[in-house]
Amino acid sequence: MLSELISTIRRIRERATPQVKRPFYIGLTVGAVIAALVALGIANTEVFFALPSSFEGVATSQAIWGLKPSNLLMVLPLGAFLVVLARSFVGVKAFGLFTPMLIALAFLQIGPVMGPVVLCSSVLTGMIVTPSLLKLRMTRVGFLGVLISLIVLVLVAMQLILDTQLQVDAFPVIVCALCVERWWKQWGKDGAKAAAKMALNTFLLAIVIEFVMVSHFALALIEWSPLLMPAFTAVAIAILGRYRGLRLSEIHRFAPIWLERRRQARQRADADQLELDLEPVDWEERLANAPPLDGIWVISSPEDLAPGRRRRVPQPVTPNKEAQFGPLSGNNGRTMIHNAWIIRSVEDV
Amino acid sequence: MLKLFRKPRPNYDALSKLRPPSLEGMDEILGINMRNALIAKYNPRHAIERARDKVAAKVALEAAGIACTGTVAVIDDHQKLGAFKPSRDMPDAWAIKPARGSQGDGILLAVRREGNTWYKGSGAPLTEEAVMHHIQKVVDGGFSGDSAAEDAALIEPLIIADPALSRIVPEGLPDLRVISLHHNPLMAMVRLPTLESDGKANLHQRAIGAGIDMETGRITRAVVKGTPITHHPDTGVNLIGFEIPGWERVLELAAKCGPAVGLGYCGADIVLDVNDGPLVIEVNAHPGIEIQNICQAGLKVRIAATGEDFR
Repeated sequence: MLSELISTIRRIRERATPQVKRPFYIGLTVGAVIAALVALGIANTEVFFALPSSFEGVATSQAIWGLKPSNLLMVLPLGAFLVVLARSFVGVKAFGLFTPMLIALAFLQIGPVMGPVVLCSSVLTGMIVTPSLLKLRMTRVGFLGVLISLIVLVLVAMQLILDTQLQVDAFPVIVCALCVERWWKQWGKDGAKAAAKMALNTFLLAIVIEFVMVSHFALALIEWSPLLMPAFTAVAIAILGRYRGLRLSEIHRFAPIWLERRRQARQRADADQLELDLEPVDWEERLANAPPLDGIWVISSPEDLAPGRRRRVPQPVTPNKEAQFGPLSGNNGRTMIHNAWIIRSVEDV
Repeated sequence: MLKLFRKPRPNYDALSKLRPPSLEGMDEILGINMRNALIAKYNPRHAIERARDKVAAKVALEAAGIACTGTVAVIDDHQKLGAFKPSRDMPDAWAIKPARGSQGDGILLAVRREGNTWYKGSGAPLTEEAVMHHIQKVVDGGFSGDSAAEDAALIEPLIIADPALSRIVPEGLPDLRVISLHHNPLMAMVRLPTLESDGKANLHQRAIGAGIDMETGRITRAVVKGTPITHHPDTGVNLIGFEIPGWERVLELAAKCGPAVGLGYCGADIVLDVNDGPLVIEVNAHPGIEIQNICQAGLKVRIAATGEDFR
């Protein structure tokens, strides 16, 4: 099973053109680095289920990850860097340009589990009331204003229910409202499935950014020198932002073209190939599984055409009747030789 | 290989035959990153703005002598709106479009008229007040995305498709999309509405996209949402091999569109009118790259064939 998978992967790798290989390797590297950073971030998380009120006045980000509130600003460029990676190398489609980064920042302020819970509940509430809000025929500003009020209402209600203080600054609320608006627009344009997929992408990207932001690597960089992080990311974004190759998602999108090309090329090379056969024919296997060639002459090499050559396929002998091997006898008792004229010499004609 | 690409007018068929069967080292697909780079390089800001505004684009196209759809009226302020009277100024069949609308939002079509009432394609009646209300909404920027507070309503006579094309679709207006770089048309497809797409030539809404051979103007391949087909699902007409009438003229129009508006890399939307033949309806400054999947061919290799070196 595993070896089969490996051989399939090897076969795909051998056939891929450089235009496919390059973005794939880049995407893989980017993915691996981010995964490592996320793992570091998760390892750095001391408590998952904690309410902001349980830290007695200490900021959530500091209590859980040791990220000082004043350093929240420093991780912003890192978030921007990850958004650039996700967009132009992987091809993740999310609401807005830097929305995932802002959501990640909100998560940092509320907590690794409580953040998503608060965000989801407020966005879902927004989604539920949007249809009735649209019926009121407001302007866009009015609509967003009402949404902001509603989301704050939900937040206050959650504070009362959970008996805690959610440290929510102004922007997560506005980001939530914008998310609701984007989601609704996408829904109208591409349908519920595409919109939900995009919302999920945004959410996952935000979680990834959140954990990268609090990884040991990022924290150490900030601790070392506050100037290092913005400078490092600015240079990195400037270099990587010039990437002009395919995005990882585009390999999947345009795969039919490459497959079709390969099929045509193979057909040109081997015209006998069945049209829909994507894999090369394994003749050994085909011959082994083929039904017996009853009495057919098989000529597999020029030597087979030489006179006196045995070209007939050996017939399997299945004794089904005793009589088959005994001498045939007719009614008159004489041994029958052939039911044919035998011409041995000129005189017989 | 590069020497081959320096020909002034590339012969795509010959190119595809010369391609090695393994396609080793051939970068042929244009990704969205590269498309954005091309747009940044060749499409200046003011030209993109002009292309986005249907009225301004039409003025520029007509100044360059390119056949566009006709114009009944352009209503761009409330003064003109007050002076406009549909029963006096509108023909029997028309289309109202917001000048800065996107993706077909806010387009109202009337196919026939009885007295002072028009009828939509679906048969729903449109009174004079309803028409005025729609124009007002357009002028107020109700369909213009989130940026513009005011917009212009562009009123055009309804286009009736060439019978050769209207024969293969159940309803709606098929349109051609030709991608070109400077004056080189690179790739073309025709979007054929289906009953499922509600008569709209929008690929997202399950309209058929059919790739066209640049040399002959014949349909080579038809796709609905990624699935190849050979016949139109509603009319049963065989699409493969169908020749677009007036193909030479289509190519000529597409080649002139970009330079006329000031765009280097653009997608021209062209319709085939029953009387006037190919007419340009819109020039797109950010044409999508899905056309490569429809035509099953890479745009990058064709752009390279025009001499672009991607640097």
